[in-house]
Amino acid sequence: MDTHKKHGFWHRYFFSLDHKDIGFQYLLTAMFMAAFGGFFVYVFRYNLAFGPNDIPLYGDLAAKQYNQLVTNHGAIMIFWVGMPILLAVIGNFLIPIMIGTDDMAFPTLNKISYWVFLLSCFVLLAGFMMPTGAFGGGWTMYPPLSVSDFGYNNPNTTFWTNFFTGNTFFLLAVALEFISMLMGGINFVVTTLNKRAKGMSLMRLPLVVWMVNIANLLFMFSVGPLIAGAFMLLMDILVGTGFFDAYRGGDPILWQHLFWFFGHPEVYVLLLPSIGAVGEIISTFSRKPLFGYKMVILMVIIAAILSLVVWAHHQFVSGIDPGAANIFSLLTIIISIPFAGMVLSYLGTLWKGNIRFETPMLWALGMLATFTFFGGFTGLHLGSNVFDIYAHDTYFVIAHFHYTLFPTVFLGGFAAFYYWFPKFSGRMMNKTLGLIHFWGTFIFFNSIFIPLFWLGLQGQHRRIYNYSAWNDLLMQPEHIMARQIATVSLIFLLLFQFVFLFNFFYSIKKGKKASKNPWEANTLEWQTDSPPPHGNFDPYPVVQRWPYDYNHPEKELDYCPQSEI
Amino acid sequence: MNIFPESISQIGSEMDKLFWIITAVVGIATVITLFLFIYPIVTRKRNKTKEEMYMVGNSHGKRKWIYIGMILLFLGDMYILLKEHPIWESVEQTLPDPDFKIAIIGKQWMWNIIYPGPDGKLYTDDDIMAYNELHVPVNKVVHMDIKALDVVHSVFLPQARFKQDALPGRTITRWIKLNKTGEYDISCAEICGTGHSIMRGTMYVEDFNTWKKTMANIYKK
Ligand code: HEM
Ligand SMILES: [Cu+2]
Ligand SMILES: [Cu+2]
Repeated sequence: MDTHKKHGFWHRYFFSLDHKDIGFQYLLTAMFMAAFGGFFVYVFRYNLAFGPNDIPLYGDLAAKQYNQLVTNHGAIMIFWVGMPILLAVIGNFLIPIMIGTDDMAFPTLNKISYWVFLLSCFVLLAGFMMPTGAFGGGWTMYPPLSVSDFGYNNPNTTFWTNFFTGNTFFLLAVALEFISMLMGGINFVVTTLNKRAKGMSLMRLPLVVWMVNIANLLFMFSVGPLIAGAFMLLMDILVGTGFFDAYRGGDPILWQHLFWFFGHPEVYVLLLPSIGAVGEIISTFSRKPLFGYKMVILMVIIAAILSLVVWAHHQFVSGIDPGAANIFSLLTIIISIPFAGMVLSYLGTLWKGNIRFETPMLWALGMLATFTFFGGFTGLHLGSNVFDIYAHDTYFVIAHFHYTLFPTVFLGGFAAFYYWFPKFSGRMMNKTLGLIHFWGTFIFFNSIFIPLFWLGLQGQHRRIYNYSAWNDLLMQPEHIMARQIATVSLIFLLLFQFVFLFNFFYSIKKGKKASKNPWEANTLEWQTDSPPPHGNFDPYPVVQRWPYDYNHPEKELDYCPQSEI
Repeated sequence: MNIFPESISQIGSEMDKLFWIITAVVGIATVITLFLFIYPIVTRKRNKTKEEMYMVGNSHGKRKWIYIGMILLFLGDMYILLKEHPIWESVEQTLPDPDFKIAIIGKQWMWNIIYPGPDGKLYTDDDIMAYNELHVPVNKVVHMDIKALDVVHSVFLPQARFKQDALPGRTITRWIKLNKTGEYDISCAEICGTGHSIMRGTMYVEDFNTWKKTMANIYKK
């Protein structure tokens, strides 16, 4: 009986139920969306540095389009690049092979989740073709701005004219994306709980599997209020219900609470899978056990729970009760402690290691360093409600959250990509190109955002098309230069991504053949062929030990696969 | 190269100082963490035995350095909170008696400023409205009633280190006391539509006599 027969292109990319194929589809789709997110940021950053006219590859940029591009850049990078890569690609590709099983618990649901995701991409992009243009009120969608031209506020509109607007499509796209991620998430959790190989107890699970699951649960816990809010917002737009209209008994701040109750945990949803992958990589390339494995899991659970009660740090000056703001400030600053435990555990893993500087390791260390030193530590500045009075909605915030998100999504994402590429393609990436890609990305990422910290401290506020009205405050030669440094760096950063694209498509076809276990790692995926056959294992592994027995004193080699007695 | 624009209020200067306090705490943490990063990288080629390298960290004793690090950070956190809280209380949770009151109302895309008329009282018939021009006396406590007509805006006075969202349907009263005369910016810090980036006003901080003359001129008009 031949269950392993080769399937054609159509089958593989459109109908396959295999978790690895679905993971690959998510990856390609996310890369496609990242091209939009990256192009948008190029256009609006070019405008900030060199003016709105004759932007190469674009043309002239008007204020309204500026807002649309900023809004969609943010939303795309978070919902259509970060979430699919870190939850769906990592979850799909890794969970079954890391826990030693053939596929997801619900393969069909998995397929549907991908199709819904693809649909959400088209709905979002279709927003640009609406008569009103794409939505441009900020990815946070604060009402009344996000409803002000519609419904009750504009008697000339009908349900259908309100429907065919960028605002409605933006909301629907986000809703579809959530449905997709929820279907995926349920699948990951059930698969992890029910389909583990013999001997794979929870305390033998690789860290990244823990992290993807915690991230999915956190997403499920936090998303409910936003869905309720999004429904109210949709009704405000379509039929003018006025849930967020202060003049008709509604309250604009209510939206902000519902949004950020989800929005803050959301950044941890992105962070956890990424930091999980980074943990695997650091342990493998330090040739040492992950230090304090159980404590890391505990710390992450504590941080995840705390992340549900810090949301109002986005609203210190939005008109909430100033007394309550103190509690949110306290909780936000306290959240640094479990993260410190986690980062120190990773550094404990490095300590005395025989560190191997393979490409994935560089990305992982780059991720950990930038996330900690710039992302995490400036979080303390912003967690202070006093300093946030000044910094809120300035480029200091922009630089801070990009120093958390960019390392999470791209540095951590690329670390994972370079690490598991041999497994999913059966070939090695070119190392020299990988190093060029890393240093180009790492250096220019920093030189984009360090100037933006400074501009924020100078009082440069965000979502501004041009600063010509602030001649004394923000248009001095040093400000103009800082903006130009950031923009030129961004252009270089984008150019270096072509090195990656070339390496990707070249290596997938022509790269050196990869062995089963090129990195000499312990987890189960490295015990099967590269790429794994349909069904993943033959025979199915029996797990004997935890995943981090590197340099075990009783073993000859410096590693010991989980399935080895 | 300066880090902040000039500060024109006592509170603002304290906030700048807080920034440096937090930066110092973070700086110490950075130095320690950076060492933990770099040392193992530099010494990666040294010979180590398997016993040395097989560090699992599976008991509290073996994790003591991690706990010490967390406790140190906790102390740093507490220090930050201790330093910031009094400032927050005086900015946001107390309202000293006003010497002068105005209302500032955001709408797409300008700031309406309402001054009390000759009777000195706000919200009476003789109130006077101006656009994008805020005149305040130096060294006096000024109350601002902040609101918005259409969408959310945010009153941002960068040099005064002041920010407060302006909400439709709600009035939020905050105070400022400025100690330098001059012309300063009023920015809108919350996206409010296409004209968000032209929504700028000017704040004139004037000594008391000049300010009185300005007000008299405004009344005449
Ligand atoms: C490739 C490098 C990137 C650069 C140079 C960049 C730059 C920027 C800038 C300058 C803004 C502010 C624009 C404004 O306020 O007028 C912005 C907004 C934003 N970016 Fe990025 N970004 C990058 C990547 C990312 C990534 C990876 C993410 C998330 C995963 C992200 C998420 C966001 C979000 C959420 C916003 C807020 C959008 C809004 O204000 O509605 N960006 N970006
Ligand atoms: Cu948050
Ligand atoms: Cu505005």
